[in-house]
Amino acid sequence: MYEIFEHTADLGLRIRAPSLEQLFADAGRALFSVIVAHLDAVRPIKRREFAVEGNQREYLLVDWLDELLFTFETQRLVFVEFDVRIDDDGLQATARGEPFDPDRHGTAHEVKAITYHALKLERRPDGWLAEVIVDI
Amino acid sequence: MGTQRYQGPLEKVNDYCWRIPKSYKPGMRVDGLIYADEQLIEHIREDQAPEQVANVAFLPGIQRASLAMPDIHWGYGFCIGGVCATDPKQGGVISPGGVGYDINCGVRLVRSNLSLDDVAPYKEKLVEELFRHVPAGTGQGGKYKFTHGELDRLMREGPRALGRWDLVTESDLAHTEATGCLEGAEPQNVSQRAHERGTDQCGTLGSGNHFLEVQVVDRVFDQKAAQAMGLAEGMVCVMIHSGSRGLGYQVCDDALRMLRNVPAKYGISLPDRQLACAPIESPEGQHYLGAMRAAANFAWCNRQLLMWQTRECFERVFGQTWQQLGMTLVYDVAHNIAKFERHRVDGEEKNVWVHRKGATRAFPAHHPEVPPLFRSIGQPVIIPGDMGRASWVLVGQPGSMEQTFGSACHGAGRTLSRKAAVRHAQGRRIDRELAQIGVVARARSHRGLAEEQPAAYKDVDLVVEVVDRAGLAKKVARMRPIGVIKG
Repeated sequence: MYEIFEHTADLGLRIRAPSLEQLFADAGRALFSVIVAHLDAVRPIKRREFAVEGNQREYLLVDWLDELLFTFETQRLVFVEFDVRIDDDGLQATARGEPFDPDRHGTAHEVKAITYHALKLERRPDGWLAEVIVDI
Repeated sequence: MGTQRYQGPLEKVNDYCWRIPKSYKPGMRVDGLIYADEQLIEHIREDQAPEQVANVAFLPGIQRASLAMPDIHWGYGFCIGGVCATDPKQGGVISPGGVGYDINCGVRLVRSNLSLDDVAPYKEKLVEELFRHVPAGTGQGGKYKFTHGELDRLMREGPRALGRWDLVTESDLAHTEATGCLEGAEPQNVSQRAHERGTDQCGTLGSGNHFLEVQVVDRVFDQKAAQAMGLAEGMVCVMIHSGSRGLGYQVCDDALRMLRNVPAKYGISLPDRQLACAPIESPEGQHYLGAMRAAANFAWCNRQLLMWQTRECFERVFGQTWQQLGMTLVYDVAHNIAKFERHRVDGEEKNVWVHRKGATRAFPAHHPEVPPLFRSIGQPVIIPGDMGRASWVLVGQPGSMEQTFGSACHGAGRTLSRKAAVRHAQGRRIDRELAQIGVVARARSHRGLAEEQPAAYKDVDLVVEVVDRAGLAKKVARMRPIGVIKG
């Protein structure tokens, strides 16, 4: 589950999930919900594998979102479904989506970068919570 | 985390300046100073931007004060509208966050011989032509594609390198801050990822607050300075606001990744990770500086190509060459950049690194770095406002050297968050409202238009008034928009 929260010139992603894997998957959806206007119109027909190294979870989250943003910018692929596996060395993920179609998906924002400002990733009694501010 | 009001101290220094004393937080090395009047300071208190001014005062080697301009608003790490100078001889640091992701985001103003009457019958057609041919929007590539080697040349030389394709003139270079080239650029410090993001983005506008506007000069305040810049009342001009696109964002991103554990390595303690920094003289600091300068030079190429495409659109619509239309560059300023400059601090002349994160250089008349063309009036300071009200041209004043390391504001500054602006626009058509006040607006994203609506910004006239009264820069001309394209 994710929501977008206010930050004057930028936007924040707040993600809550029962597991760390689900948290990373929902963070991917949250990011693309900021980039395109109609995330539901994105069909999961193309598959990409990702591997991101790192043992600091907060930085792993930033690096994961960075990887998705870079793939969007350079290959113009939008992703909507994510299957994430996390271990001590980093993460492996399968993402599904399709080539960006501005007419069908709509454009919402150009995300310049994933910032470290007020970055948060923590375990709560009821699951996991993360907050990430993206630069618009 | 929501928008919390700033609860710390703000002491009135004079009618246009407010102090956050360094006693506010242990770790602050200098005071914070915010330039604003009574009305603007009330807005500024409403979020955490003053807290960010205080946080910047933690940076090692910071000189005089952590400064903020009247268009200050809440950013990430540094506030937007901030100025901070550091002295390498006192352990001064360089901070990529003090430049921002959009390295050398800036503004250029192009004049023309056309009057409002000349343009009025073609306004719709002109805006449509610009919208069709100037690439804008999320991840949008453009018509210019550069190889890795060509990109490196753009990053090393700036727009001068576009000469081999006849896309720049000597006059364009003479009217660009630093003639569009920071010495010491190291393209080899720019990652493969940054190259990939930049390969087809030179000459594209991007999204967010970037824009291309057709404007008309509606009032001249300083005849002599306006004349030196080739501006006159009733003249149609074009303002372009963009930066270093994906290439620059990636350079900043790479630098922040490199710096993750660096502050600790040098024993630097920071209140926000986004303030990550390295001593200027350290290998990490030098690496970032080489890459930052390369991205800055790329940004000047980007605005040059945006201007070139604009000239081509005008040529098609008006059936004359751009030279016949008198479409010369007035000036191009950077407002997200760090520069090595000479300043007087506590009676001593020294070289410092001035970080301008949403602030414009505003050197006064006779300063050696002001181009000869403007030596007698001061450096032009171009201030974009919002798409419904106004934008401004100012000239730098001596007060900027005395108070703000030669800096002034860079825009109006946001007053509504993006989400609040969208709520504010519920059930309204921003493009129709703008049409009613004579502004033809075209945008790729309706949401983007709502987020960037005039009500989302402070009144730029108020911001400019403070800068003028505080003696940082003087009013020369006010322009109002008649056409706007957005990503």
